[in-house]
Amino acid sequence: MRPHRLVLEGGVVWSGGYAIGDVDARLRRNATGSTPPPFTLFSASSDLSRAASVSARIGFTLTPSLAIEGGGSFGMPRVGYAISQDPEVGAQQIDGEQLTQYFVDGALVWHLPMRLGSRVRPLVVGGGGYLRQLHEARTLAETGQVFYGGVGARYWIRGGLGTARSFGVRGDVRANLRRGGIDFEDQARVFPTVAVHLFLSL
Amino acid sequence: MTRAPRLVIAALLIVGFTSPVSAYLKLGASVGGRVVDVTWRAPVPYFVSDADAGSVSGADLRGAVARAAATWQAVPSATVRFEYQGMTAAPPGLVDGRTTIGFLDRPELDRVLGSTSFLIDTTNGAIVEADVFLNARFAWSVSAEGTPGRVDLESVVLHELGHLLGLGHSALGETELTGSGVRRVIASGAVMFPISMSAGTIADRVLQADDIAGISDLYPAAGQVAATGGITGRVTKNGRGLLGAHVVALNPETGALVGNFALDEAGVFSIIRLTPGPYILRVEPLDDAEVDSFFSTAIDVDFRVTYAPRMVVAPRGGSSSSIEIKVLPK
Repeated sequence: MRPHRLVLEGGVVWSGGYAIGDVDARLRRNATGSTPPPFTLFSASSDLSRAASVSARIGFTLTPSLAIEGGGSFGMPRVGYAISQDPEVGAQQIDGEQLTQYFVDGALVWHLPMRLGSRVRPLVVGGGGYLRQLHEARTLAETGQVFYGGVGARYWIRGGLGTARSFGVRGDVRANLRRGGIDFEDQARVFPTVAVHLFLSL
Repeated sequence: MTRAPRLVIAALLIVGFTSPVSAYLKLGASVGGRVVDVTWRAPVPYFVSDADAGSVSGADLRGAVARAAATWQAVPSATVRFEYQGMTAAPPGLVDGRTTIGFLDRPELDRVLGSTSFLIDTTNGAIVEADVFLNARFAWSVSAEGTPGRVDLESVVLHELGHLLGLGHSALGETELTGSGVRRVIASGAVMFPISMSAGTIADRVLQADDIAGISDLYPAAGQVAATGGITGRVTKNGRGLLGAHVVALNPETGALVGNFALDEAGVFSIIRLTPGPYILRVEPLDDAEVDSFFSTAIDVDFRVTYAPRMVVAPRGGSSSSIEIKVLPK
């Protein structure tokens, strides 16, 4: 990579689904003692669906190997839930609600000093950012942070590692740690993402 | 009843006297053809009758009332105030302009632990007085840990003070019919559930989310309306509204359960004063208590438990868009 160059990227990020918490609808059991065991009216297990987000990024190469970048993505995952343990109805899956999700992040990208052929260069990426999730009808927002690390590669379709105005495809796979956002147990969650971007190096 | 032309003793839990489609079953009075909430417009002044009930004295009752009143007053999202006026030799039930809480021996009411009645000025809906009677026929307990075989006085007083403040009954509970045809509570989610837990239990000394939402609706603390949200919708069966369907909202973040009924022929329900966030809605027939504890008219209980087709969000300071929940016959 040539140093001191801007790199523009646009693409798609696929996020894996993950659980966001279980809850029991509990009543107080009619039994003696100050804390009798609760009675479960029903249980609900919730998850955030797999979803695709559109993504745009801008980077700046500091050295031939190291770049900083920032960007944002927009997606609409669904919160679904499954009902169980209701003695009056069978287990069932409920559609849940559709979220509107924004993610703004910054990252460091290290292009490894190795080549896989003349057009491919592997990279390692790590970063973090701000997550904002809006409930359906955009009536309520929940915020959090996502930190991630991953590996990927750039493939130059035109130009090459050292040329200006080159472009190509970048793909990377990330492991993400999410804190905050919509979660019914307020726990940190880990989920995978796969990103594919077209890039243009100016 | 000396002022009978202007006053009326309010009966509890008559649907015709229930405020329309706002939230929770709460007591109402008809004023000029309009139903208004029965609420106190100042701190609730009360006397305690000095009559005993077996080994439980009037002074014991005074202590139980003070603890129960403190429990209601401690709800941070509501502004409830009681003012103890003193002991009295007068029993509850007299039309004397005083709100009196006390024991009466009513052996004919062998399934009634207590009840609350109101004298209301029907020209403006103001409460003139309200009395709470507790049946001395039962064996009562004021022990901190409860006493096996005895009914916890503080629990029952807490329930009756809920009525005194204007709350109706909650249907958030599960019961079973015993061999003698009496309903036994398996579990409940509200102090305002109409059937008490078994003698010896003390669980009903603690207000539940449903009780707190109800009292916060009647006496909202400053900023509560803006800080909480509501859910509204319609329950239908074969395309028609379903009066009396019980809707339970679960907040999956807090586990809080709050219930209310579809309160008109269109099947419209509303649950308000909720912590903002998504809710799971479960609709069930009113089959865990006597219908006349809630409604004076017949209601349809022939339908299956049904979950709303999606989560519903109670937005801060507002209400959800209306959701229709379609139920099927059993």
